[in-house]
Amino acid sequence: MEGNPKIICFTCSWAFPEWEIEAPPNTGVIQVKCIGRLDPIVILESFAKRVDGIIVIGCSPPDCHFIEGNLYAERTINLLKKVITLAGLEPERLHLELVSPIENKSFLNLVERFVERIKSLGPLFKGKEVDEEILFNIQAAKQAVTWSRLRILSGRERKLTEKANAYGEKISQEEIDRLIEEVMGEEYIRSKIYLLTKEKPMSVEEISKRIGVDSPLVLQHIVALRRRGLLAMDRIEGYTPLYRALEVD
Amino acid sequence: MSEKEFEPIIVGFLCNWCSYAGADLAGVSRIQYPPNIRVIRVMCSGRVDPIFILEAFKNGADGVLVAGCHLPADCHYLAGNFKALRRVLLLKRVLKEFGIEPERLWIEWISASEGDKFAKVVSEMVKEIKKLGPNPLKRSGGK
Amino acid sequence: MGSKVGAVLVVGGGVAGIQAALDLADSGFRVYLLDESPSIGGTMAQLDKTFPTNDCAMCILAPKLVAAGRHPNIHLITHAEVEGVEGEPGNFRVKIRRRARYVNPEKCTGCGVCARECPVEAIDEYDEGLSKRSAIYVKYVQAVPRTYVIDRERCIGCGTCKELCRAGAITYEDKDDITELSVGAIILAPGFEEFNPVVKSEYGYKRYPNVVTSIEFERILSASGPYGGIVLRPSDGRIPRKIAFIQCVGSRDSQIGNEYCSAACCMYAIKEAIIAKEHVPTKLECTIFYMDIRAYGKDFEKYYKRAMEEYGIRFVRARVASINEDPSTRNLILRYIVDEKPCEEEFDMVVLSIGMRPPKNAKKLADAVGIKLNEYGFCLTNPLSPIETSRPGVFVCGAFAGPKDIPESVAQASGAAAKAMGIVASERGKLVTSKVYPQERDVLGEEPRIGVFICHCGINIGGYVNVPEVTEYAKTLPNVVYAEHNLYTCSEDTQKRIKEKIIEYKLNRVVVASCTPRTHEPLFRETVREAGLNEYLFEMANIRDQCSWVHMHEPKAATEKAKDLIRSAVAKARMLRPLKKPMVNVIPVALVIGGGVSGMTAAVELARQGFEVHLVEREKELGGNLRRIYYLLEGEDPQEYLKNLINEVNKCSNIHVYLGAEVVEVSGFVGNFKSKILHGGEIKEIEHGVIIVATGATEYKPKEYLYGVDPRIITQRELEEMVYKGLFNAKTVAMIQCVGARNEENPNCSRICCSEAIKNALKIKEISPETEVYILYKDIRSYGFKEKYYHEALKKGVVFINYEDSRKPLVVKDGDRLRLVFWEPVLKQEIEIYPDLVVLSAAVVPNPDNRKVAEMLKVPLTKDGFFLEAHMKLRPVDFQTDGIFLCGLAHGPKSIDESISQACAAASRAATILSKSVLELEGIVASVDEDLCGGCRICEAVCPFGAIEMVEKEGKISAHVIEALCKGCGTCGSACPTKAIKPQHFTTEQILSQVKAILAG
Repeated sequence: MEGNPKIICFTCSWAFPEWEIEAPPNTGVIQVKCIGRLDPIVILESFAKRVDGIIVIGCSPPDCHFIEGNLYAERTINLLKKVITLAGLEPERLHLELVSPIENKSFLNLVERFVERIKSLGPLFKGKEVDEEILFNIQAAKQAVTWSRLRILSGRERKLTEKANAYGEKISQEEIDRLIEEVMGEEYIRSKIYLLTKEKPMSVEEISKRIGVDSPLVLQHIVALRRRGLLAMDRIEGYTPLYRALEVD
Repeated sequence: MSEKEFEPIIVGFLCNWCSYAGADLAGVSRIQYPPNIRVIRVMCSGRVDPIFILEAFKNGADGVLVAGCHLPADCHYLAGNFKALRRVLLLKRVLKEFGIEPERLWIEWISASEGDKFAKVVSEMVKEIKKLGPNPLKRSGGK
Repeated sequence: MGSKVGAVLVVGGGVAGIQAALDLADSGFRVYLLDESPSIGGTMAQLDKTFPTNDCAMCILAPKLVAAGRHPNIHLITHAEVEGVEGEPGNFRVKIRRRARYVNPEKCTGCGVCARECPVEAIDEYDEGLSKRSAIYVKYVQAVPRTYVIDRERCIGCGTCKELCRAGAITYEDKDDITELSVGAIILAPGFEEFNPVVKSEYGYKRYPNVVTSIEFERILSASGPYGGIVLRPSDGRIPRKIAFIQCVGSRDSQIGNEYCSAACCMYAIKEAIIAKEHVPTKLECTIFYMDIRAYGKDFEKYYKRAMEEYGIRFVRARVASINEDPSTRNLILRYIVDEKPCEEEFDMVVLSIGMRPPKNAKKLADAVGIKLNEYGFCLTNPLSPIETSRPGVFVCGAFAGPKDIPESVAQASGAAAKAMGIVASERGKLVTSKVYPQERDVLGEEPRIGVFICHCGINIGGYVNVPEVTEYAKTLPNVVYAEHNLYTCSEDTQKRIKEKIIEYKLNRVVVASCTPRTHEPLFRETVREAGLNEYLFEMANIRDQCSWVHMHEPKAATEKAKDLIRSAVAKARMLRPLKKPMVNVIPVALVIGGGVSGMTAAVELARQGFEVHLVEREKELGGNLRRIYYLLEGEDPQEYLKNLINEVNKCSNIHVYLGAEVVEVSGFVGNFKSKILHGGEIKEIEHGVIIVATGATEYKPKEYLYGVDPRIITQRELEEMVYKGLFNAKTVAMIQCVGARNEENPNCSRICCSEAIKNALKIKEISPETEVYILYKDIRSYGFKEKYYHEALKKGVVFINYEDSRKPLVVKDGDRLRLVFWEPVLKQEIEIYPDLVVLSAAVVPNPDNRKVAEMLKVPLTKDGFFLEAHMKLRPVDFQTDGIFLCGLAHGPKSIDESISQACAAASRAATILSKSVLELEGIVASVDEDLCGGCRICEAVCPFGAIEMVEKEGKISAHVIEALCKGCGTCGSACPTKAIKPQHFTTEQILSQVKAILAG
């Protein structure tokens, strides 16, 4: 067990014929119609099931059965790499491999190579307290991508950088990267605040200590969450208001 | 009776200038509150006739809210809010004789910028009236 | 001479600009109301409460916003600026740049779905940066127009809003465009900019999170602000226990070049301290650090006293030298000096009372319009023509003419409107379009046939309430013969549909279930009217603001509630009756009571517009108090001005002057007053449409300080006369401030005495530089630009000595000499001097006639005997009774420029009535069923507007409603024991039917 990391592999059913799909021990394989449709939440939920690494296999650019699914997948995986980095995971724990059916690569080889790399990183879940922290971070990352801001931005990234925006201008990759990073940072902290106050009402300072973010910034994010109707003041204890997340389906 | 939790029906008489505007602001700000209140708009809280309140209870309302502009000076019509207050305080005494708990009748001052207060008042009122249970007139089949 | 244009451009959509626009539009002129920002409202829209009444700012402003937004004669031009002005008074051509909005205002319904999904955030300027908004936004929720705008700086053009907007309002291809307007006059009301205290680095603003500005604090206090109205420290979200307010940040500070006083900060700081204490559930200490507390306005001093006595707010006369932060607690340590002793005190939050600066683009605007600015960068004016700029035909009002508070801005705005009317009066009514409606269908006697129109509001209602299901339900309700649902019921094409359906189904009642009647009822009333129905045969059910938006997670319950609300609206609609708007003929004549500078100015302004005026003066000559004013602080010659003004009055053929006369009887109501004037022993009867009260005030006759006992003890006015007549020769002069003011008997400040003392001190220094002048004061209240002269007096060696009530100066006769004993607070000892003259700054006291006039007109007085206006903040020259106005010293102590502004304002307000041949009044008034009326007079007693009179008919006394006075509040209806008096449109039967219907679910 020690030496075998827990791996999940998402593979496009067009990338390899059924009979070639053979997984090494401790690796679960999930076949999908096209990795372009892979929901980021599914990836993050998989991490939350205490896996050490996730590899996503799809078809290389000209070969996508759905024309551009793989290009979208690339963006999604890039975004997710950034998100999991924020959550304290090494970005290498998520890997995208695009293969061409004509290359005749071995599925098993690909996965094994990934397993080796994850082995060198060591296990993601090491002990009780650390694990809980990582799980919380992954939950927060999942919440952050559930909300619309990041989704909209990453969904439109390609169009904005490669074609044109609504004003007929192209947006540089740097600019969009900067914006996505900014939004991701904000949404990630807000997610943490949201998840924490779902458990019990908390004050700005308690939240600040718990997530290691300066309290003025925590308050600003609380203001934003209140505006979105996701948070409310629960009560005031002494001189300190406590906030609670609102249940939203 | 069904097993479902008792959901009170509250009739709210809101003055056009302050409290109705406050309720609108709660909406614009998307502040969520329980759907138990039904609002009737009046120009001034001073318009609220005790008969309106009695009729509401007679017809099965579990609670009645009268809301107007803040005392002392916010009233669009100078002092309608004072008149409303006097009437409600008097009526609370009368309600007891009808077998209705006076705690079912609330009067609150809510300004046009207090969307959150409107939502809070409704939430609290629903909570309190749930504790009281259904309108006793309804229970005794007096509807 | 080119022909004139009956239109006026108002630049700036704050409260002043809005007031000017409303007055002009109500007087028959077309108005273009231009604002730089995407919505009107200005600074007032950001405020939480207003002093001295603590009214909620938005509650009183919003109705004006809506009125301006919906007025058929007001054209809003938002997100725009003036680029150039050509032409002359009466005929200007103005070049306007409209900045691209990227949202089509014709199509945007203001539903806000775009903003909720926009992925890009930006600083929210409305919240002073304490929160964020999206890149597509509306300035604030009550904004007018409620049209969204794209912040092009932040927008990345992702296209989300366009995809979401069901109304198809997003137009990314929008471009700036230049248009030209023809107008007859221009009013500038661009407001002010807040001082940025980063410059005052010793206060640590932006370095220490718990140091905030007063306008930020205003947002913090606001229930719609970032913290939901609970005061929190930005550093840790805790409720502060100790807040310090620091006054004069960026004002009265020659170091940074802002020598003037910002005029409003003392009062707003006191207000903020009071409100903070009210908004905080815990114990809160507030301390205000000040130089002088300038509570000089009407009833301000009382407010200041209440702050001290009732609210326990601490006032410390000290300039704070520095603020340092304790990094561990983020508390702030203030260093200041009191009584020569350095003090250190810790607070957990600091509010900087920042001053007013000229608006950011003042220079650009001045260049574009061709007007001059003063030394501080505000608009250049003259105290005797406070509304005129350096370019004829261009007028100014509000803070751009100098720092001032809201009521003065509003009064000046109306004044500017009067000035503009004076120029274009001949073109009245030519550029306004009056609408012709079809003949109203008589529906009495018809069975109600109700049509119900239910709005999806894009997804705002439809996303949470099952609209098709509700529509089917509506069809089952009694008397409903037609129901349909629309994507947007308020859109232009739906209005057409509603009209078609009214005709097709012979509808005689219409119910719309959508948003709030507060914003949309007028639109739908208009629609039913266009289809030949009486506009009151319409009812709304608010299933968005009070249903779908507040129950977003309970679609089932929201749907059921929507049904209940519609059932209630239908029940009321069944009982609706057509109402007639009462029409009142207007006699285009004004009665002005009082022939001082205010009364004469008001008369001249009205006469200039072609109205006839009766000007009644009690004394034998015109001029009032101004006859005894010989100098002005700013240097102009008041006597010359007075002479010209009297000449102008006498020259005007449509002003009838009655000297030595008195108004002895007034009856009637707005548009139709009948009055009796006692003139030369005879009674003259006149008929008129409005009344302007300008009865002035007088100087207090001191009982203090040996006044009247020794001729060397005189008042400021007597000193002025002495100087003017060349009789002044004193070597030492001592002036004592606040004589007969700010005391137990008369708690208010007389506002002008500080400036008068400074004026006379400077005059003395001018004619006799070696004369020593002492001014003993409580607070020097040289507000606004008058501060400059306080500095000048200091420079010229006038000695200012502060005294407290507990240690008042003492004047005694010491043989031949006068001895003045006072406590010197700096030296901390008693000082004796032997002045040749002791000059008392005597209070301004109300005209003793006020009581009589008030009773005659049935208008109220304040406790101290000045006239009480309809609303201290937004209706400074109106009375609660329509058709009666107020100006000058009769309203309260004020300087000449303020009296002139107010007099013009009264003229403008009066013109909104006189300009109409018929006044159309609101149809929602009370009516009496004489058979039921027992004549008990309860309704007469509860009516706050005096709209009910008792009338005897065939021996029976019953109540009668004076429709011109009724405001439709309905208070009488709930008080009437026999239910004889009916508040129409909210009748007992209608409301009871709603109650029953709403509970019938």
